[in-house]
Amino acid sequence: MKNKLKTILIILLLFIIIYFLQINFFSWFNIAGIMPNLFVLLVLFIGLFVGKSMGILFGILFGIILDALFGRAIGISAVFLAIVGFLGEIFDKNFSKDSRITIIAMSVLSTTFYEICIYLVNIFGYGASVEISTFIYNIVIENIFNVFLIIIFYSGIRKLGYYLENCFYQKEFQTRYF
Amino acid sequence: MNRKNRTTMIGTIIAIIVLIVVVILSNVAKNKSAVQNAVSIFFTPLQNQITYIKNRITRNSEEIANISSLEQENQELKDENSKLQEQVRELEVLKSENNTLKEYLNLKNKYADYTTVPGYVIARTYSNYDKIVTINVGSDDGIEENMPVISEQGLVGMVMSVTKSTAKVQTIIDTASTVSANVTASNESMLVKGTISNTEELRASSISTESTILQGDEIVTSGLGGIYPKGILIGTVGSVVNTKNEVDRYATIKTATDFSTLSEILVITSKQ
Repeated sequence: MKNKLKTILIILLLFIIIYFLQINFFSWFNIAGIMPNLFVLLVLFIGLFVGKSMGILFGILFGIILDALFGRAIGISAVFLAIVGFLGEIFDKNFSKDSRITIIAMSVLSTTFYEICIYLVNIFGYGASVEISTFIYNIVIENIFNVFLIIIFYSGIRKLGYYLENCFYQKEFQTRYF
Repeated sequence: MNRKNRTTMIGTIIAIIVLIVVVILSNVAKNKSAVQNAVSIFFTPLQNQITYIKNRITRNSEEIANISSLEQENQELKDENSKLQEQVRELEVLKSENNTLKEYLNLKNKYADYTTVPGYVIARTYSNYDKIVTINVGSDDGIEENMPVISEQGLVGMVMSVTKSTAKVQTIIDTASTVSANVTASNESMLVKGTISNTEELRASSISTESTILQGDEIVTSGLGGIYPKGILIGTVGSVVNTKNEVDRYATIKTATDFSTLSEILVITSKQ
């Protein structure tokens, strides 16, 4: 129980750090005005390492917070972030988390899926203009940015991910060689 | 450090460097002197070193003899400099406060016909596709949904949702925003929409085939639609794009409000 609480607190702390990075740091450290979306990556990694129930739960929680702060309506980001959390578990069952390439592919797929869904809601729900070429350009840049960040922080992400996984499921640390 | 770790470390460092270079280049690409700047970044330190060495070689021996008096003078100047810097900092604070108050006063005078509530932007959306800002005034200050929001330069957007102490504003550069507008010179009407591609320009469509819209024409709100009052400046025409089909022709509108530095705003609560 104590370990589960610790995992949740670490995830909430990560959300706060990412929130401030996204709002302040990336507003000027961006590629041609395009920022990465670290919230999607955070939820993906929660699903990937901690499991789909936590991925969905935190996807909904973070989505509601983000919708309340910046969204057009509460629930839109929550639904799609929850799906990303669920995708994390599916990826975990089918692919290795120990490969940088698969982690990058998972993040590209999740980011693209999330942004397309949000954009479609904006188009059909709120009358946003349809600009396919610009949207594709933005998605590509956003994914490139995410990929760079994963390359840079891969070892940290992996270590923290396994730490949270072990902590949440209270796995005993075993020596590699015995 | 084994070979794999070393390779990983080198890869990470290269990724960091490439990312920083890409961010810098992508943000200065609009500036034509970017190449000059890049060249000067590399060559200025070198040039400074050469000049320094040259000065050392040709330095006058009298300067070396007066070194102790120069040290004393230097200390006095340093003290004086720190005092002056302190005064400058105090003046900067006063200047900033003065500017903010002036901006509020100008805004109030400019839109004297309307009852307004002043506020400022406290957060901007993290998304690359929405252009929504949060302001520090809410229902406790009399703010309601669909109230127009303006800045000193012109139209900002409209209130889309309200809490007790904050409100979310959909800016006119948001892709879901459409404003009915008029050209001041000819009174021709059009629809102005935000685009994903640009945060400084809008796209004006539904332009009449007989329209005489020209670059530099001012675009203001038409008053149609029931949200924005008539006559608030939206921006100026940047370019008129004619397509094969005349009905599809559109114009780009350079927004009057600079959304990248938007800070002080006024919410129009009613017309007096």
